[in-house]
Amino acid sequence: MSSHISADTVRASFGIGKKLGMGALGLALVTSLAACSPPGRSGDAAGGVSHTTITAPVTAEEVAELGDITLNVWADQGEEDTLTLLKPLYESEFPNVELKIQYKSYEDLVQTVVNAMNSDSAPDVTQGNQGYSTDGTLVKAGLIRPLDDVAEVYGYADAVGDAISQLQWSDDGQVFGSGTTYGMSPDNQMVGVFYNKTILSNLGITPPSTLSDFEAALATIKASGEQPITFGNADKTTAMQAFSIVQGALTPASDTVAWITGQDGADFNVSTNAAALDTWTTWVNEGYLSPGYDGTSPDDAAAAFADGTGAFYIGGNWHAGTISDSEEFGFIAAPAGESGTTASSASFGMPWHIGSKTKNELAAIAFVAMINSADFAQNLADVNRVPVQTENVTAPTPMFSDLVAASDELLSNNGSLYWYDWATDTMYDTFTSGLQEVMAGRTTSADFLANVQDNWTTFQDKR
Amino acid sequence: MSALSHAPRTRSRRGGDGSVGPVRRRPRRDHVAYLYLLPAFAFYGIFLLRPLAESVWISFFDWDGITEAVWVGGENYAAVISDPLIWEALLHSFVFIIFYALLPSVLALSFVAIISRIRVYGLTFFRAVLFIPYILSTVVVAVAWRWIYDINGPLNGLLDAIGLGFLTRAWIGDFTTALPSVGLIGTWIMFGLGFVLFMAGAQKIPFDFYEAARLDGAGAIREFFNVTLPGLRGEISVALVLMITAALRNFDIVWNTTSGGPGTSTTVPSYYVYQGAFMTRDVGGASALAVLLTIIILAAVGLTMYLLQEKGPRRPQESRRRTRKEVSA
Repeated sequence: MSSHISADTVRASFGIGKKLGMGALGLALVTSLAACSPPGRSGDAAGGVSHTTITAPVTAEEVAELGDITLNVWADQGEEDTLTLLKPLYESEFPNVELKIQYKSYEDLVQTVVNAMNSDSAPDVTQGNQGYSTDGTLVKAGLIRPLDDVAEVYGYADAVGDAISQLQWSDDGQVFGSGTTYGMSPDNQMVGVFYNKTILSNLGITPPSTLSDFEAALATIKASGEQPITFGNADKTTAMQAFSIVQGALTPASDTVAWITGQDGADFNVSTNAAALDTWTTWVNEGYLSPGYDGTSPDDAAAAFADGTGAFYIGGNWHAGTISDSEEFGFIAAPAGESGTTASSASFGMPWHIGSKTKNELAAIAFVAMINSADFAQNLADVNRVPVQTENVTAPTPMFSDLVAASDELLSNNGSLYWYDWATDTMYDTFTSGLQEVMAGRTTSADFLANVQDNWTTFQDKR
Repeated sequence: MSALSHAPRTRSRRGGDGSVGPVRRRPRRDHVAYLYLLPAFAFYGIFLLRPLAESVWISFFDWDGITEAVWVGGENYAAVISDPLIWEALLHSFVFIIFYALLPSVLALSFVAIISRIRVYGLTFFRAVLFIPYILSTVVVAVAWRWIYDINGPLNGLLDAIGLGFLTRAWIGDFTTALPSVGLIGTWIMFGLGFVLFMAGAQKIPFDFYEAARLDGAGAIREFFNVTLPGLRGEISVALVLMITAALRNFDIVWNTTSGGPGTSTTVPSYYVYQGAFMTRDVGGASALAVLLTIIILAAVGLTMYLLQEKGPRRPQESRRRTRKEVSA
């Protein structure tokens, strides 16, 4: 009669549990409420972090004075190639320092870094993530050191020019895109267009430099029976990024950047963006995007493209690891609109920060300065990262020359739009889900734009 | 008959003078015995009750997880309740109950009904194989099913091969099929659990009952509804509690197959809890939602157990019989 026993046992244990549980729950509530003032720290740290301002590059002698130390570094998994090259360079220049690097997956890093920096065992140096939820919180809580002096002394500020604004925050962590430099990043990431050289040359098409050329090419390719664009959007993010190819061509880049950085009166609900959505959905309806894209992961789509499926792949330079055959494939920056300049979703890679709690400030500065130096740029190129400072870099492959050329073009005309989801803390969901619905014809462009702008206004009012 | 221990103690006690004392109905209070529970309870308190209480406490604040929180009273709850996206997510969870609880239970019961009538060789083997999905890592399961449902995946390949090519689609990338497709993964996982539980239960049902039913001329269907199903009431209750809980707090499968998409067609409440706690740093709002979700799950479990509890005329008869036996002992 095990059936009775199991059911009875379950119920009986619930019965006992109930009595004990209620008492304990009350006890736990009382103790935790009594012990708990409001959760979180009182705002003692924000803006008031003490640190040494440097006026000249940190020397090996200064670092040697720290004695034998370990510098704790948190980094994204994707940095492993870069840091493997950096570690011996750094440790030979600063022999008293041992680098201890912990790699985290992207999600793991952005979800835990804020709490880690707040803990007693905070890493000395870490990568953050632009946007309100990670870097904004780090700045607001005073957990990372301002880097204006470092960027100035090491010539980083001069080398990257105006683009440094994307690494700047107001000291209360509320306004992004101007203010104090809180991070430094050595590489550029951008959305552009990979093309299949064979398919294009067979159809007599040259890589398009304008949006109208691009649309004409798509129509020709479709008519020929080839798949115009291989696409995968199961992660919801890819469509948002790829859409910037069209949006950047039709709306002035400065307007989009003003909107993403939360400047007064900025508006996403404008006719050029409506037109961009219409163009984008036309591409869907014409079958330019490969079927079943919402159920295909972008990595699978990139792999299929690298296998020869489709004439174009709209994606980031980070896909160059998959689409690597320079004989077969090339890369171009987003085709330009009427303005004649290219613009698409792009920004520097995950920025490097120095923790406010570090006891090894000079060693940390030396680390961040080294990975962001022009001298180190060639090492980045060698592991297929696109350096921001490209002056003395020799491209290892023709594909890589394409990536560098596109990056330089984008940076030289301020065409980096950043990423739409930076606009507010909840924009990611609103934008990605909404765009999927527009593409599937379940929402109109007008409703989507109104929703996006609503989200933005609500957030700006709250700030 | 461990059920005995739950029966009210009616046995007479002999007093010091040897006379028969009055019937005691109150259970003896052995306070010392509770000390044995203390270590386990301390563990339970620290790792379950305290975090639970803290979640409740945090849910009354606007908090980014780091800087000082601001007391907002019930605002987080009001925000959760007035958010249509949350209601949509909750609706999806209730749809998942069909796929995670009802469907696997019905399937598992049908299998058990069939197996109780025919002899199956290698039953242990099948039982083990069918149970595997339940113990596999859900990430592995999600990746495998993503491949099966892919536009170029084996499911579409099969449909093409049998002339149903017009049905092919990106199953988890399509607004109409994403939710049931993700749900069916749950059915596949939970079926093994139900099957193993029900098989174990069915083997304990005395064969006399079946014999009696058959002598009375019951067919397979009648036998199932009058003997097997009532005999499995306890197992069904346990299985449903586990399955409904899994359906309502479903997160990993959704996250690893569709991330709630396309659009918001497969979002679940846990998705928004995760998002608030780790991505948008709205820890207070995420806690409020988590608290509400816990209440809903407790209510659903309570309702299930209430509806499936033992009732009817069998109970008094049993206890009368037991009492008589005890008195005679």
